[in-house]
Amino acid sequence: MGWSPARAHPTGRVDDAKTLYLSLFTQHGIRPKVFTGLANYVRVLHDGQFLSSLGTIAKFGVIQIPVMLLLALALALYLDGLRSARWRSYFSLSFFLPYAMPTVIGGLLWGYLYSKGLSPFNQMLAPLGGQIDFLGRSGLLWSLGNIITWTWTGYNMIILYSALRGVPGELYEAARIDGATNLQVIRFIKLPMVAPALALAALFSIIGTLQIFAEPFVLGSLTFVPTNLMPNLYIYFTAFNYGNFNYAAALAVVLAIITFALSLGMLALLNFQRRRL
Amino acid sequence: MNRLNASAVTWRVLVLLLSLYFLLPLVWLIVSSTKSTGQLFTTFGLWFASPWHLLDNIRGMAAFQGGVVGRWMLNTAVYSGAVALLSTLFSAMAGYAFSRFEFPLKTVLNLMILSAVLLPITALVLPIFLILHDLGLINTYWAVILPLLVNPLGVYLMMIFWDQGFARELQDAAYLDGADEWRVFWQVGLPLVRNGLLTVALFSFVSTWNNFFLPLVVLSKGSLYPITLGLAIWNSTAQTGASVDYPAILVGALISVLPLIIAFFTLQRYWQAGLTSGSLK
Repeated sequence: MGWSPARAHPTGRVDDAKTLYLSLFTQHGIRPKVFTGLANYVRVLHDGQFLSSLGTIAKFGVIQIPVMLLLALALALYLDGLRSARWRSYFSLSFFLPYAMPTVIGGLLWGYLYSKGLSPFNQMLAPLGGQIDFLGRSGLLWSLGNIITWTWTGYNMIILYSALRGVPGELYEAARIDGATNLQVIRFIKLPMVAPALALAALFSIIGTLQIFAEPFVLGSLTFVPTNLMPNLYIYFTAFNYGNFNYAAALAVVLAIITFALSLGMLALLNFQRRRL
Repeated sequence: MNRLNASAVTWRVLVLLLSLYFLLPLVWLIVSSTKSTGQLFTTFGLWFASPWHLLDNIRGMAAFQGGVVGRWMLNTAVYSGAVALLSTLFSAMAGYAFSRFEFPLKTVLNLMILSAVLLPITALVLPIFLILHDLGLINTYWAVILPLLVNPLGVYLMMIFWDQGFARELQDAAYLDGADEWRVFWQVGLPLVRNGLLTVALFSFVSTWNNFFLPLVVLSKGSLYPITLGLAIWNSTAQTGASVDYPAILVGALISVLPLIIAFFTLQRYWQAGLTSGSLK
């Protein structure tokens, strides 16, 4: 579910305008809704549950995104240097495979792999007397991080790998004539060439992280997952479990603004760097 | 024959292990769908156990609630097929307009389509839910299909494919031969952007197949669920009950992922084209 532009299916401005419109009203039960202006937004800014979900997602992203992108970059560089076409196609297909699985099914399978009775990891650890509580309070976010990394590393790797393929062959030729080592070729040719694609992948990953929903939702059937673990989870429960559509709309608009602000900031940073080069 | 040196071998082994990590859930799924509930808990998860129970599990899955899983698969196929077909057509039309015509607010509209990709799914699904509710379309096939027909990424990709695949000289020649706009689009243009159409269709098919949030919100009737939502709900209600029929759920999960994996492997060059043209600009 919606964690990349390729999967998201946003429906344009009319709906966004309606979210904005909804967020300006308050409705209690079956009483008619009343216009309450920005009151819902004031409430968002003081909503400890929502702010804590933002804090969680920020901590989550700061660790998960770099780990995933570094892994994707390393794999892309490895694939690019690989001579055997057969190995290259095996590796790219197996890394990309998780993307071809529905996020809910991926989340469900990892949930089983983490669960007490079924986990093959714990089956292997059992003779040693160890057990890992993957879905416990302290393990949950790490386990989620693993699911997201598993799903999206291959996708990012393909993007970086295609950027590497676009490097003109003469550059490598020239470097070899100048006696550059493999590491120097990576450091001075490949990395600079792949930097724009890497930045774009980072941008998509930030957007995607803010949108995580299906994985923690599915894990919620196997373990305790706080309803405000991540912003979209909190918005969903506010709207569809507690029936507070107006307040949920305000939350969604704030999340949209945060997403836009982060994306624009990221793009501005990129343009600034490009101009300096 | 090239001899690999020590460091190359180390790398190869490392990456090979990593590839097993990416395959792990699928391997576990395949192995586990051949086991009975007892075997799932008592035998090692990553290797087969005898006797095989695959057929029993398939029977168990098929019997669940009078064969509702088959219905879910069919629903998923209907949703994905309809969305792939129609949203690709609309993307092709909108992309053509952006590629070939000048009209007021073109730049603004173009920017809006690009920024639509940034909107959080909840910001979109909330109003979609209320609009569908007002139209009386909640718990219908349309509730899933209609919202997904709007596909900003598809429009953007088609715009690029039209720019690159359909030469303006050819378009002008068709006009000179007396073809009208409609004919130029259908008979001259579309065949030339075939690869683009297949790419957009593949991506919208897959994203519809994988979609979870929209059906979760707009459907509450079990007979309309797509397979992903059905399995998630089956699992979550089973977890609260006395015993979970894991094998049947697992066979269902296996059946739900196989078509996509096959589609990805056979249509490799199209998704690669989609990913790269999306990232180049």
